[in-house]
Amino acid sequence: MGPAAIIGGGLSIASGIIGSIGARKRAKAAAREKKRLQGKLNSLEANRQEIINPYQDLSSMVSNPFASLSVATGAAEMQIEEADISLANTLDTLRATGASAGGATALAQAALKSKKGVSASIEVQEKQNEDKRAAGEKQKQDALLREGQRVQEGEAWEFNQREQREMQELDRTASLLGAAQAAEAQAQMDQTGAITGALGTLGGIAATPGLFKPQE
Amino acid sequence: MENKNVSQNLYLKQFNQSDAIAYSKQFVANANDYNFQLLDNAYRNAGKAYAQIKIAIETNKCESEHCAAELAQIKQLKEAPQASLDFLSSLVAELSVTEESSFDPNNNYKYTVANSLMNGRPGFSKTDGYNAYLDLLPDGSQQIVFMGPAFKTTIEDPFTFEILEVDNPLIINSSALKALIDSETSLVVSTPDISADMVRLLTEIGTFSSDMIGEDGNLKPNATISEEFMLKNLDGSFDYKIVDLGNGKGKNVLQFDMNKIEKKVTPFISAEVAGLMSSEQDAVAAWNVYISKHTSEDEDEQMLQFAIGENFSWIYETDLPLSQDKKVLFESKYKQYFMDNYLKQFITNQMPTVKEDAAVFDLEEAKKAKAQKFLDDNNLN
Repeated sequence: MGPAAIIGGGLSIASGIIGSIGARKRAKAAAREKKRLQGKLNSLEANRQEIINPYQDLSSMVSNPFASLSVATGAAEMQIEEADISLANTLDTLRATGASAGGATALAQAALKSKKGVSASIEVQEKQNEDKRAAGEKQKQDALLREGQRVQEGEAWEFNQREQREMQELDRTASLLGAAQAAEAQAQMDQTGAITGALGTLGGIAATPGLFKPQE
Repeated sequence: MENKNVSQNLYLKQFNQSDAIAYSKQFVANANDYNFQLLDNAYRNAGKAYAQIKIAIETNKCESEHCAAELAQIKQLKEAPQASLDFLSSLVAELSVTEESSFDPNNNYKYTVANSLMNGRPGFSKTDGYNAYLDLLPDGSQQIVFMGPAFKTTIEDPFTFEILEVDNPLIINSSALKALIDSETSLVVSTPDISADMVRLLTEIGTFSSDMIGEDGNLKPNATISEEFMLKNLDGSFDYKIVDLGNGKGKNVLQFDMNKIEKKVTPFISAEVAGLMSSEQDAVAAWNVYISKHTSEDEDEQMLQFAIGENFSWIYETDLPLSQDKKVLFESKYKQYFMDNYLKQFITNQMPTVKEDAAVFDLEEAKKAKAQKFLDDNNLN
């Protein structure tokens, strides 16, 4: 037993209703799919990964390796003090033995020159050590920087890969959403068409005894 | 507590699918009247009413000022047939959901009865005590009323304390139904096609390379998960699991980095669930039929789960809108369902991709070699 007897109003009216049911179902399914895809698209957009700046500031990783260089004044001061003590002792000896003032002056000059030479030598050594430390530090900093850049390139690569995949999914979902919208619109048109066809028979309804026309 | 909707819907499903009624002598011997004639009865007096109002307007005998009320009534009557067609076709389309193979029996069983009646199923005729009316209401809306044995309820007589069975018709109003449909919700919830969703999801989660996806958009029959998700040794060779084939023989199968796979899959599952949650009633249906029971798309298995009373169903009337706890639980179980029923086949007993590693070998020797390799790799010799 089909719906015609249940609905009544004539076979063509029942057929019109039945014809529109399929279109209604399609419209509803398309609307439902559209809603689902819209929800999915919103979620994909809302949960996209944060943008990594591939040119982010790396200055915090760089330090001046020469900042730690010190001037070897301590050694020079010590040498000068030692030379002064030595000179004073020698002068005391000269005074005690009755040496001339000119000899004392020459001795003092020689002692001073000697002190300067020793001091300069120590400074050179210290400077060489500092240079080595600075060069080592610079190498370390260069290595850190290269590592930082390498890690950053990796992050940028991973980002691009994920971005590409997410974009593909976003594009795909958006495309499906467009298709669902079109399907919904088409199904609604079909539904309207079926009902309009049935309405063509409403003259039939009006003419049907018991409907718009009083029963005879 | 027994869920009346579940028991009634399962009974109706069985009743409609079986030919049990064909063996009823009483049914076979009697004529069955299915002529509910909804439109004929609804419009029986419409013609007369239309004529009376029209005459009143034309002869200037209206009861309202400037015939405003009469003109409105005429307009309603003219629009009524179109509204009836829309209403009935919407209603039948909604009720037809009760016939879907994965229909959630937690839906109101009265809609299943109404659908049986609208389709003239045996056992739901006038002769069986059923009836249906379409009424044109003064406010311009229309209503359909279903009555019969399935639309009754019991009450206690306040004087005699007897238990009485009284009519409890199912009434559906056209404007209420239209409002539901316009807001993209449903009278009867159609269960989402979880199987199709999950097959599609397999291609979206990023664990398969694009060359594993066929032109139809689905995974190819020989699809394998990308190499980056396979477990490897320190030297880059595959870290196989050895499977005992019996008779001292064994073979290698691939092992997968499940943490990495889960991390990859989770955002796509979340997006999928967000899509489902845009219509929470759909999520409830998916939960009731598939996710909570861990059933497959096998219809018989689903119905068996309901029938044996293992019921963790969410109830449409009380559980909507879904609480945050339920949403979290849904996503967690959805992921588990996907991993167990769809992804598992790609991570279980997968043969090596390297041809020479796929050969059957002597089990003892292989186990020794594997142990030695572990010692070598970790400098434990």
